[in-house]
Amino acid sequence: MSLTRIRGAAVYDPANGIDGVRRDIIIRDGRIVDHAQSESIPPERDFDASGMIVMAGGIDLHSHIGGGKTNLSRLLLPEDHRNDARAVPDKPGEGRYMRLPSCGTCAPGTLATGYRYAEMGYTAAFEPAMVASNARHTHLEMGDTPIIDHGAYVMMGNDELFLQMLAAKEDFERMRDYVGWTIDANKALGVKVVNPGGISAFKFNQRSLDLDEAHVHYGIAPRDVLRTLTRALSELRVPHPLHVHASNLGVPGNVQSTLATMDASDGLPIHLTHIQFHSYGTEGPLKFSSGARAIAEAVNARPNVTIDVGQIIFGQTVSASGDTMMQFRNAPLARPRKWILGDIECDGGCGVVPFRYREQSFVNALQWIIGLEIFLLVDDPWRVSMTTDHPNGGPFTSYPHLIRLLMDKPFRDEQLDKLNADAKAASVLSEITRELSLYEIAIITRAGPARLLGLADRGHLGAGAAADIAVYREDADRERMFTSPAFVFKDGELIARDGTLLQTPAGGIHFVTPDYDRAIEQRVRDYTDANLAGRFENIAIGDDEMCTVCNGGKLLPVACERR
Amino acid sequence: MLTASLEALNTTCPRLTRSLATFTSKDATKKPQINGQDTDLTTALSEAAKILEQARRPLFSGLATDIAGARALYDLAAHSGAILDHLHGDVLAASTLALQDRGAFFTTLSEIRSRADLIVVIACEPSRCYPRFYERVLNPQTDIVFVGCDTDPAASTNAKAILPNTDPFDILALWSALTEGRNANALGDAKTAQQLEALLERIHTAHYTAFVYEPGTLPAPHAALAIEAINRIVKTINRTTRAGTLALTGDDGALSVNQTVTWLSGFPLRTRVAYGVPLEHDSHRYRTDDLLRRKEIDALLWISSFGPEPLPSSLPDDVPTIILGHPATTHAARNASTVFIPVATPGIDSNGHLFRVDASVVVPLVAARDTALPTVAAIASELVRARRPQ
Repeated sequence: MSLTRIRGAAVYDPANGIDGVRRDIIIRDGRIVDHAQSESIPPERDFDASGMIVMAGGIDLHSHIGGGKTNLSRLLLPEDHRNDARAVPDKPGEGRYMRLPSCGTCAPGTLATGYRYAEMGYTAAFEPAMVASNARHTHLEMGDTPIIDHGAYVMMGNDELFLQMLAAKEDFERMRDYVGWTIDANKALGVKVVNPGGISAFKFNQRSLDLDEAHVHYGIAPRDVLRTLTRALSELRVPHPLHVHASNLGVPGNVQSTLATMDASDGLPIHLTHIQFHSYGTEGPLKFSSGARAIAEAVNARPNVTIDVGQIIFGQTVSASGDTMMQFRNAPLARPRKWILGDIECDGGCGVVPFRYREQSFVNALQWIIGLEIFLLVDDPWRVSMTTDHPNGGPFTSYPHLIRLLMDKPFRDEQLDKLNADAKAASVLSEITRELSLYEIAIITRAGPARLLGLADRGHLGAGAAADIAVYREDADRERMFTSPAFVFKDGELIARDGTLLQTPAGGIHFVTPDYDRAIEQRVRDYTDANLAGRFENIAIGDDEMCTVCNGGKLLPVACERR
Repeated sequence: MLTASLEALNTTCPRLTRSLATFTSKDATKKPQINGQDTDLTTALSEAAKILEQARRPLFSGLATDIAGARALYDLAAHSGAILDHLHGDVLAASTLALQDRGAFFTTLSEIRSRADLIVVIACEPSRCYPRFYERVLNPQTDIVFVGCDTDPAASTNAKAILPNTDPFDILALWSALTEGRNANALGDAKTAQQLEALLERIHTAHYTAFVYEPGTLPAPHAALAIEAINRIVKTINRTTRAGTLALTGDDGALSVNQTVTWLSGFPLRTRVAYGVPLEHDSHRYRTDDLLRRKEIDALLWISSFGPEPLPSSLPDDVPTIILGHPATTHAARNASTVFIPVATPGIDSNGHLFRVDASVVVPLVAARDTALPTVAAIASELVRARRPQ
C-alpha cells in the first residue's frame, strides 16, 4: 500500500499539544503514521502544503442532518430549495457525475449536506435528536449523507416507559439497563434529553415545565430525569455525557433553570447543548437580556460541564426540534407562516417552525450577541464546541463566517454595528477583546468534539488516527480560508481540492454498545405489547441490517470506557 | 426452486389475503420479456438501457417499491433526466401541497392507541383500505365519532356518526369558524353548526383526540384544501386541549419513496432530476396522466413491485416502456418497444424497508420465500452502470 504525504504545512493538533509547528503528515492505509520508514512516496500522493495550515477534519457534534423532523423541514420549505444558489455548483473541475442533484440552504437534501460539509473540511457530523421509534429513518438518511462519518444520540427521558419506571421508583439498575438497551437497539452514540419530561407533559396538555416542577401525570420532576440519565450513562461508561437540551428553551429568564440544570447531574459529566437559547435574562425595558456572563462563569467553575453554543446567524432558517412544548409556543413566530408539530409513538415529538433572524430585531440581535459572548467568555475551549444547532440557529455552511467572527475583533465590531442599536447598547460584546487563535479554533471544531464523543482516533493528527484531514490556505480573511480548504482527506483519500469534490465515498457510523443486563428486554417487550402499535421484534437494528441502512458505510464502534 | 405457498399468520386481513393470492409458485421461473416474447435478463436489461439512452424526457412512474428501490432509482433518474411520480401521485400531491402551504399537526398510531380517548373520523371508512386500523389503534376506552360519513361497520360499538350526508367542505368551513369561537346559532347552517359545536365540546372534555382522514377519499380535485382545513382546525384546538391528525395514506410505497426522494434531493415527488440542471418540483405540472396525455414524455419506466398494476390508460401506444413489475403483471401488445422485467416484491421475495402509514416508523421487511427474482434496486443499479461512462 502506498504512502501519502502532506508536506510543509503548519500543524494545529491540540489533542497532541502541537500549535502551529511545521511538519510533514504521513498516511498509510488510511491512518496517520509517524515515519515513512524509507518507503517511497508516489509523486501524485505527495502534497506540497508549504505555507498552508493543517488540522484534523472538522467534527460537528450537534447538527440536525437526518430523521423525521429534518425531512419534514425539507417538505415544508420548497422555497428554500428553489432559492438555493448552490443547487447546481459551478465546479468546472468536477466530473459531471460527481454530485447527484440535491439542494436546499437551511434544509438541504442529505446529498448536498454531505458534499457541503466535506468541501468545507468537515469529516463528521452527529444527529443529536434521534427519536427511538424513528431510528431506522434517521440512520437511512445519515447513510445517504455522503463522505462524512455520522452517528446519533437517541432521545430519552420523555419516553413513557422511562417516566413510568421513574414514577414507580423502580430500581436504578433496571433503568440503567433500559438506557443501555435503548442505546444498543437503536445504534446510538449517546443519549440526549430534550426538555426533560416536557415533551411527554405536553401530551398531557401541560404547557410549561420548570426544572423542579412536577410532570402533571407522572409527578416526577425534570431534575429526577437528569439525575437518573447522567448516572446511567456514567455507569454504562458511555463516553459522551448526557446531551441536554434544557428546560425553558427561548424563555426570557431561563438562565436560572439552565444554571440549576448544570448541577442536576450531582457533579457527573453533563453537556448542555445550544446553550445560547437557554441563556436569557429578564433585565432591561424589554425584559430580555443576556445571561451569557452568568452562564460562562458557571461553566468556568464546573469542570464536569461542557457546552455547545447554538450560535444564531441572520437570515432565513428553520427550527426543527423535539421540544414540542416550546415549539408550539414559538409557532406564532413562524416566518413564513406555516409550521408542523407532532406527537410521536409515546417516546418523542417534533416541532418544525421556519424562522427568519433579523439584524434589526432587538431579540434576534441579542441572541446573536449572547452566542458570541458565551464563546468568548468561557475560558476552556475544550469544553465549548462550535455549533449553530444546524439548522435551528443557522445552516452549518455558516461555520466559516462564525470562525471569522470569533477570530477577528474588527470584523466582529463591524457586524455588531449593523445590529439593532438597543441590543448593542445592552451588551458587553464590544468590550470583549478576545480573538480565538487557530489552535483554539482547532479545539472547538474538532479536537474538543472528538474527545467529548470518545472518538479516540478522530479529531487529531497523531500516529494511529484516521487520516481525516483538512489543509487550508493561509488567508487573513478567515471566512474565505475556512470555506474551501486546499485539500480534504477522508480516511487517507483526497476527496476535495479547493472546494472541488474528487470522490464521494459512503461515510461510516459511530455508535456504542454498552454492557447491560438483557433481562430488561422482557420489560420493554411487555410494555410494547400493551401500549404500542408496533412489535418488539421490529425495534432493534441488527449489524447486518445496519450495513444496508447505512448504504455500506463502515460500522465504527466506539469503546465504552470509564471516563 | 423452493416456493412454499404463502400464508398470513395471526390475521385474517382481507387486503393481505388478496395480495398473497397474486403470488404463485410460477413466479420464480417467470422470464423477462421484450414485446411479449420471453428473453433472458441480460438482453432485457440491454433493451431497457437502450430505451433510456434514447429518451430525452423519460418519466419514472408507478414507483411502487421500497426505500432501497427509491435510492437506486434516484441515481438512475439523475442519469436519465427523469421526472418522478407515483401510482398514487394525486393523493400524495394533495398532502404535499397542504403541508407546503400551511404545515400540519400530526400524531402516530401508538400515541392514539395509548392516549386517545376520542377518535374523530372525517369522511372516510378506514377499514375499507386499512382493515387492521382498529386493531392497531383502539383501546377499550376510546369513543369514535364519524363526521361526514356513516359509521364504519368494522368499528366498535362506541361509535356514532354525525352529518353523514353533509359535504365535507361545508363541515370543515363551519367547524373552522366554531373553533375560532364563532357562535353556532350565528352561522348560516345553524343546525349543522350545532352538531359540530356539540362535538367540539366533547373534544374539549377529552384528554386527547385523534383526527383520522383519508386523503384519497376527500373530494378531488381540491383535497388539499380539505387537508389544510383539518390541520388548521386541529392546530386551533391545540391552543387549549390536545389533539393530532393521522392521515391514512401512502400505500404501495408512496410514503416511502416520497420520503426517500425528499431526503436525497430536498424535494418530494413530482420532481425532475437531472445532472447539471436545477431540480424542478411541481405537483401540478409533473402529473403522470397529464404528461402522458400531452405526449410530453418519450419513455416510461413503470415500477410496480407490490402487485400487478396495469400500465396507465393514458400511455400513448408509441412511447417505449420498461416495466419492473410483479411477476403476474401482464400488458396488451404495444406498438413501441416494451420491456418487462419481473422483480422481487419486498417482504415476499426480498428484505426491505417501508415507512408505516403514520410516517414516523420505518418497518423492516423480511423475505418470506426464496426466489431468484431481482430487486428493483438491483435492476436500477444495473441500468445506472449501463448508462454511466466507464
